[in-house]
Amino acid sequence: MQCENQEALLRCEDISFTYPGAAAPLLKNISLTLRPGQCCCLTGPTGSGKTTLARILGGLAPDGACEGSLHYAPASDQSFPAGLVLQDPDVQLLASSVGAEVAFALENLALDPAAMPGRVIAALDAVGLAKPTAFPVDKLSMGQKYRLLTAALLVMESRLLILDEPGAQLDPDGLAHMQDILRQLKHAGIAILLCEHRPEPLLEVIDDFWQLSADGRLTAGRWTGDPLQVHTRPPNPAQSKPAVLRVAGLCFQDTQAQPVWTNVDLTLRPGERAAITGPNGTGKTTLLRCIAGFLSPRAGTVSIMDGPPEPARLRGQVGLLFQNPEKQLFENTVYDEVAFPLKRLGLPAQEREERVNAALEECGIVHMADASPHLLSYGQKHLVALASVLAPKPRLLLLDDPLAGLDDVRSRSVLSTLSRWSDNYDMALLVTGHEPQANFSWAHRVLRLEGGRLA
Amino acid sequence: MALAMVLSCLAFVSRTLPLLLVLSAANILVLVWLRRGPRTLKRELRTFCWQTLIILSLYLLRFRSMDGLWAGFKVSWQLFLAMLPVMAVSKTVSQAAAVRTLSRILPGQMAFVLSTCIKFVPLLLAEIKNIYEGQVLRGARILPRDLVRPWHWPDLLHCVIVPSIVQGMALAGNIALAAKARGFGRSPRRTCWPGM
Repeated sequence: MQCENQEALLRCEDISFTYPGAAAPLLKNISLTLRPGQCCCLTGPTGSGKTTLARILGGLAPDGACEGSLHYAPASDQSFPAGLVLQDPDVQLLASSVGAEVAFALENLALDPAAMPGRVIAALDAVGLAKPTAFPVDKLSMGQKYRLLTAALLVMESRLLILDEPGAQLDPDGLAHMQDILRQLKHAGIAILLCEHRPEPLLEVIDDFWQLSADGRLTAGRWTGDPLQVHTRPPNPAQSKPAVLRVAGLCFQDTQAQPVWTNVDLTLRPGERAAITGPNGTGKTTLLRCIAGFLSPRAGTVSIMDGPPEPARLRGQVGLLFQNPEKQLFENTVYDEVAFPLKRLGLPAQEREERVNAALEECGIVHMADASPHLLSYGQKHLVALASVLAPKPRLLLLDDPLAGLDDVRSRSVLSTLSRWSDNYDMALLVTGHEPQANFSWAHRVLRLEGGRLA
Repeated sequence: MALAMVLSCLAFVSRTLPLLLVLSAANILVLVWLRRGPRTLKRELRTFCWQTLIILSLYLLRFRSMDGLWAGFKVSWQLFLAMLPVMAVSKTVSQAAAVRTLSRILPGQMAFVLSTCIKFVPLLLAEIKNIYEGQVLRGARILPRDLVRPWHWPDLLHCVIVPSIVQGMALAGNIALAAKARGFGRSPRRTCWPGM
């Protein structure tokens, strides 16, 4: 559908961008053009500036020095030239009902309320979201929320859509729906820019790849990074050892007394690594919180190291890292951040130092020991948080979607670190994720949580 | 919605024990009228306990004596009574209806900001819970039984309150960006979606 002769919907020339206080520009001399019906995918390592570029192209440049020029195709006063969906739909959905969400942009244009329902329903139709306008937003699946956000942009008559990492949030079903919608939008002459680490599920609709290098330059082609060897797992050595984690007949109900999952059985022995995959909203995080003793199951038992899952008993023995682990960082230096759990465990200074250095070295962040964790990139913060849960040498580590937002190279590096640590210290590992096609060569077992059952 | 706002405003001017007791009774009556059962009250009271604990610890740090505790408790009580009716009503009235009501007495943009703050409270609380649980297993002495000992209170401040404030600011930034991406602030006037 892309047409070389049509007027460009977006043309940017020689864009450079520097964050306040940064020594060098993050983006250097970026030039690109997007035409009607064209779908481009912007690739690049974590921290290379894809989101920053997406924001600049969407007309929402962050604070900093931005040079160069940006031209959109002419649009009416009642429309927006570009629409931008950022990561994490949950913080972008501003209303409580489907209709009010889509109408938000129309409210901002001060459109007559009587004219809103027609435009809202047309936008919902365009993304195939057949829900009443009064339908509550929080009852939608993650895939439906993403489509709702897309409708909320289409209602603004934007002819350019910029989507920042849909793959980090959507499960395979959500991505398949998204691909169908993107195909239809291309046919309708809408240009699409995807910023994506893992574009495989959307390959059919992508026309061109661009790559942002670590030095901030944009070139044609797809970034894949230098492949790292994932630590290959040895034959499972742990069968004779007593279980670290034993889950039997576990059932959990939500606040409306609806079962989230039932009869979950799981045993993990020292050094054993298991992955749990499943679509969004199936209760993977809930399962981890139940195992850690923060939620009470309706039925069944959890036993960790032959005892009940009481958080006070599990300190230093069980590590837990949620999505976006950066939010747990609070110390002034990376070293102090990693040393914090060891101080609380009362380890002597000499042993603390040895363990901190070992964790920093394993995560490849020794050179950042004196840096403030708050000023690091997303990927680096991830590694600091990981080092801080590894340092106490827990016997069981629970990780909730630890690779979300990380590029393939960084993901392999994290998995490699976890595998080595697991082998060296007999640490059992339980990792959740929503990508069933991911590489699980590091795991001894891959389980699927779907339809309320773990299999 | 209007009743909730009146009750919330009254919480800020009720500074004596009798007034606070009368207002508390009025709030309970409103909860019964809205058919928010004892479960809601229990959940909100749990929040009140946490909030009171934090405020009292801050007062102790500030005044370094027990004299300030009653004043701290009253502040916590007032804040609770300011939030309770809004939290109760927000679960029974749609956000669009709330914005429409607020728009009659406030500028359109202010009405949106106020209703959005209320909408995102549960998300922020879930984030704080995540932070709390992660820090407990990192060894922070912040379980209820730990906090009986005042020398553990700094852990609560450093490991939970500071990251939660940072997270709250990040959340506010993301919400503002999402609103701006859809034209919030582009026009000085806003209209309201006519449906739910």
